[in-house]
Amino acid sequence: MMTKVVSVARWEYLEKVKSKAFLIGLFLTPVLMVGLGVVPTLLITQADTRTKIIGVIDPSGVIVGPLADLVQARYRLADGRPNYVIRPLAVGAAVDLQSSAAEADRQTGAGDIEGYCLLGPSPEADSAVEYRSKSVGDIPLVENLQQALRIVLSERKGLSMGLDTSVIRALNVKVDMKQVKLSKTGEKEDSGFLQVFFTAYVFLFMLFLLIVTSGQLLVRSILEEKSNRIVEVLVSSCSSTELMAGKVLGLSALGFTQIGFWALMGAVATLSFGVTLVTPGIAALLILYFVLGYLFYAAVFIGAGSPLTTEQEAQQVTSYLVMILVLPIALAFPAMQNPDATWLRVLTFIPFLTPTMMALRIPIQMPSPWEILATILLMVVSIFFAMVAAGRIFRIAILSTGKSPKLAEIFRWAKEG
Amino acid sequence: MLNVTDLRKEFATLVAVDGVSFNAGNGEVFGLLGPNGAGKTTTIRMILNILVPDGGTVTYDGKPFSGEVRDHIGYLPEERGLYRKSKLLDTIMYFAVLRGMKRGAAKGEALRWLARFSLEEFRDRKVEELSKGNQQKVQFICAIIHDPSIVILDEPFSGLDPVNQIIFKDIFHELRAAGKTVVFSTHQMDQAERLSDTLCLINRGRVVLGGTVRDVKRRYGTNSLHVEFSGDGAFMSGLPDVRRALLYGNAAELELAPGANVQALIGEMNGKIDITKFELVEPSLQSIFIQTVGDSNAGAAPPPEAP
Repeated sequence: MMTKVVSVARWEYLEKVKSKAFLIGLFLTPVLMVGLGVVPTLLITQADTRTKIIGVIDPSGVIVGPLADLVQARYRLADGRPNYVIRPLAVGAAVDLQSSAAEADRQTGAGDIEGYCLLGPSPEADSAVEYRSKSVGDIPLVENLQQALRIVLSERKGLSMGLDTSVIRALNVKVDMKQVKLSKTGEKEDSGFLQVFFTAYVFLFMLFLLIVTSGQLLVRSILEEKSNRIVEVLVSSCSSTELMAGKVLGLSALGFTQIGFWALMGAVATLSFGVTLVTPGIAALLILYFVLGYLFYAAVFIGAGSPLTTEQEAQQVTSYLVMILVLPIALAFPAMQNPDATWLRVLTFIPFLTPTMMALRIPIQMPSPWEILATILLMVVSIFFAMVAAGRIFRIAILSTGKSPKLAEIFRWAKEG
Repeated sequence: MLNVTDLRKEFATLVAVDGVSFNAGNGEVFGLLGPNGAGKTTTIRMILNILVPDGGTVTYDGKPFSGEVRDHIGYLPEERGLYRKSKLLDTIMYFAVLRGMKRGAAKGEALRWLARFSLEEFRDRKVEELSKGNQQKVQFICAIIHDPSIVILDEPFSGLDPVNQIIFKDIFHELRAAGKTVVFSTHQMDQAERLSDTLCLINRGRVVLGGTVRDVKRRYGTNSLHVEFSGDGAFMSGLPDVRRALLYGNAAELELAPGANVQALIGEMNGKIDITKFELVEPSLQSIFIQTVGDSNAGAAPPPEAP
């Protein structure tokens, strides 16, 4: 009995581990993760290396001068050169806003200036300011410019109210807010919003890709075996139970290869770059949920995939499962804002969502021990029943050809065997 | 030895196999004949325990089906299919190991068979790179590599060129000489006649004819006329005392009515065609097949192929 299961497992594993889809998933996933998560963050927070020229159209004529002085004094590149240079484009009441703006647009388009600031005629009364540029994603530039403008405007207002310049300067306090995440025990963890968000995303995506990659490989191979009737030779060589057990075992080995490889990459990243996403304890717990989720979905994919007869149907069914799997990604934001919400707990106890919800919740805030124990128990029980049902469906479905069976029929198979 | 007793299988709309019984002995090539949709494949699937019969029993060398029996059966399915993306040697070894062979032994045997079929150079190629005929050879290897005592081949010759047909036939004879039970299905009667020792003709799920090829033919007596000729032989089907005529261009097989006047027939043919051979023979299986199946199917469309 076992030798045949192992033979099937060995075959399933070796044939799939060599497949392009698997290899692409194996290497591309971490690259994608880094690409999607790290690079934009780095780009946004990366310091400038060259001086940027910002144009200003100032119909009041009184802002541009102090602004240029302030910006020059306040923002410097690492090598001491000024970070920004303010270039007055049109100044004074005689400015024709339309033609000046058109000229400024042209200069921005040509790359002569980074962008330009369009001030109102009486900026003290009306603080609406426009910054126009080709890219609106330069967050530090916009923040710095905004801050400088605020200082200039408040200075002017303060002066008009008779305040001393030194008083005004003293009032302009710069606040630099750093976010600190507290764990349950009150320990400080030095991670900002972005890092928590990013970590939760990374694990969710990994689990998602892990399940979908091998789920699709599994369904496709069952379809192939059905369509060219290899399955007849298989079930005349071993029982359908042995066949399915072998498939699940082979697929699990495949999943563990993937998890192991990624964990190794994570460890290497931690050791060589000092980048730590999670502590080893949390990583171990996440891996446990990965394994549980993986086994559960292996059964789901077998049960849902074996009655299918065409590639199109397989894609359809896979896309439904994908939707269930990505649901927690859509919930990531609200979950971070309120990690104790009851609805989060409720969703966590739906077996289809348990692994992904846990992958989302654990990096944000560690769920209580009873929740962890209860969900693990829930998953073990669910896996057992899912496997039994999948086995019953599998046994009948792999030999049926022609039209795919109706849903009611599949449920009957699952129930009665 | 394979013993099938009163096998029965019903599908939603039809009785695909209705009380089929036969016995295929050791060292015997057994032909399972019948038109398309007769129930051959369904019968074979039940023998292999792929389908569960609604009634009847199958024994293998006297034993009922079990996990152990599996390893002594070889099977070539009707639909030709292998893992397209997998390598030849890997594929053969997988099926061999699934039938209980050790990996080392499986590799040795696989290489030996690949050499026999002149496929050694393809051992590390993917299956999809092979021609259809070569894929069929690979499947055939998969069916016999584990030295099974019962080999079941569903339409083994369809799509095979004459050279490879001869290789297959040689192996049939080797298997028979080694005391194996070879069961093959076909709807080509000339093949069945040349190859099988025993046969069983199924039509619409029932056995309509069975026994050794000798017996079957003898039962129909020497009531056929084999004529070889040149000219247009179309008129022959209208001759008196000719119940049925099978015309093959330059040859004809005429089934005669009892007590037919052969001399008179020669007289009728003279002058119309140029006779080169004229022989009173036993009917061919083809003729018996058409006679038997044609009679029982008269006025009814053949049933659809069972799923």
